Amino acid sequence: MNELAEVPELVRVESVRRRFPLDHSFVSALDDVNLRVVPGEFLAIAGPSGSGKSTLLNLIGCIDKPTSGRILIEGVDTSKLNPTRTTALRREKIGFVFQTFNLIPVFTAAENVEFPLLVQGLGAGERRQRVAAALESVGLTARANHRPDLLSGGERQRIAVARAIVHRPALVLADEPTANLDTHNATQLIDLMHDLNRRLGLTFIFSTHDARLLEHTDRIVRLCDGQVQSDTLTSNTPFAETPNKGASHGQVLASSL
Amino acid sequence: MGKFLLLAFRNVFRNRRRTVMTLVMVGGGVAGLLLVGGFFAFMFWGLRESTINGGLGHIQIFTADHFTRDEVHVLDTGIDNWRQVAATVRTGGHVRGVAPRIEFYGMVSNGEKSSVFMGSAVDPDAESSLGFRTRFASGRDLDSKPGGEVEALIGAGLAKSMNVKVGDGLTVLAMTSDGALNGVDVQIVGIVNSGMAEMDARYLRITLASAQRLLQSDRVTNLVVGLDKTENTDRVAAELAPRMSGLPQQLVLKKWIDLANYYKQVRSLFSMIFVFLGVIVFFMVLMSSVNTLLMTMFERTREIGTMLAMGTPRAWIVSLFMLEATLIGVLGAVAGVLAGNLLGVILNHSGIHLPPPPGNTVPMAFKVLFEPSLMIGSSLLVVFSLALAAIVPAIRASRLQIAEALAHV
Repeated sequence: MNELAEVPELVRVESVRRRFPLDHSFVSALDDVNLRVVPGEFLAIAGPSGSGKSTLLNLIGCIDKPTSGRILIEGVDTSKLNPTRTTALRREKIGFVFQTFNLIPVFTAAENVEFPLLVQGLGAGERRQRVAAALESVGLTARANHRPDLLSGGERQRIAVARAIVHRPALVLADEPTANLDTHNATQLIDLMHDLNRRLGLTFIFSTHDARLLEHTDRIVRLCDGQVQSDTLTSNTPFAETPNKGASHGQVLASSL
Repeated sequence: MGKFLLLAFRNVFRNRRRTVMTLVMVGGGVAGLLLVGGFFAFMFWGLRESTINGGLGHIQIFTADHFTRDEVHVLDTGIDNWRQVAATVRTGGHVRGVAPRIEFYGMVSNGEKSSVFMGSAVDPDAESSLGFRTRFASGRDLDSKPGGEVEALIGAGLAKSMNVKVGDGLTVLAMTSDGALNGVDVQIVGIVNSGMAEMDARYLRITLASAQRLLQSDRVTNLVVGLDKTENTDRVAAELAPRMSGLPQQLVLKKWIDLANYYKQVRSLFSMIFVFLGVIVFFMVLMSSVNTLLMTMFERTREIGTMLAMGTPRAWIVSLFMLEATLIGVLGAVAGVLAGNLLGVILNHSGIHLPPPPGNTVPMAFKVLFEPSLMIGSSLLVVFSLALAAIVPAIRASRLQIAEALAHV
């Protein structure tokens, strides 16, 4: 037995296909993708443009539906949820970080971070407390009352990270989070996310083709033409000390069962 | 809720130029409605007061029979003890005076030609004490205590028809209350030009005492009550009604509005015109706002997608757009009320006059009244219009596919 056998699955992607209509035919964005993610993972989905990274993240984030196959979040089959329960699942279990930050421009940094808590219906006192903690965790307490247009790109993305973690989700999905950042800010963001992953045990799944980010990840799932090309653990993984070090993640999971 | 309202409020001022343009449009609509409505209100007020002061009075008292049966002889349904009734009415609050009147008809002759007249007998002192004004083409009003001759006023049309002028004489013939024919020679002291040709072609006025001698009756047709202010009409009518109940004859009170058919027709016509203008403003605001709000929705597609991705209920998105539109409506209405009132004050002090209306010779003052009901009504109209305009963009925003919205450029 190794550590993975004792950890329940957070995400399971089973034989997922996603096809988009184009003129009178279809384009296949994902084809028979299988993936398992356990809590606390820091997982990168890598691949060239058009490989299906964002589509896979959208499906895991329940903002799109697979053409076939199913996705389970904490054992819940998301394809069987009605729109209201899907919205509730996203609200409670998932945090999003977008490539273009997507902060609400008329809100201050603190108000942006507060928004998911507002949607959850938390009281003002608790909201204030959690926002302060989230801002502190991304090192932007001093910028709390600044609007996004007064923040640098790196600061905006850190605010976006704070917004994604403030409601204590089970999973944070980040779509190309460093794509719009310079090397310095990208490195800072990677360190921040990794730190949050290690310190708070937050599960991060992010799409990227940024080599800087891949160097820091525990596990890399490579997609090509909508199919999983490889799924490997890196030397950064906390599971690296296991006897299966260097094996594919699929093999690790298989041997743990 | 507070943050949600704050978000809506800040979104309103996100694109300031566009918001200002929308506010100008909405405010302009409200201000326009206030000016037009205020002018109509001024016109109604002027017509109301001129109708009342032209002789209608605020309240008229008749016998109940006057409205239930036709008179066989003149003053059949008249008031017997009218002096007692008038004295009772005068003791009431807000009453400025009471003027007795007799309405009668007959023939008038110049020796060569005869014509039908519709006569009105009045107490000149009582009429003038109530401020009732008569428009004279020439001559003067009746003397309350004439020396020898019976004085008469006649309409301009009747004077032309009978080929007489001030100072000339006429013979007035009428049936007495007993059904006999009686006549009296009168001297014309004034020619009346009421502005209504049909009335002026038949109009004749003599004093009450002369009419009672001619008609051989001490009765009067009605009593006209003048009040200090028109606004007190309902209150005084309610107070007087029970005091009329203990009298030998059953009497009824008629308020001026019950008798002012011309006023009601004019008011009804212009009210419809105002409603029509309101509908135009409503649709102008509606159509242009739909366009603006749709543009806003398209610009914020990615933001809406982000909010939906974070688990914001779709109903919140609808509410947000509706709230923003309503806020614009409220702000536009406030701006419009302020602008409308300011323009109204300027207009009222400008001294501008409009050309005389048909049938009149006096230019009409171009003034507006400040009616709170008009301000509230116009404001509600534009707020409702904007809220309605937001429905389509709000629903479209709430139905966005999240993945597509997030990819929106």
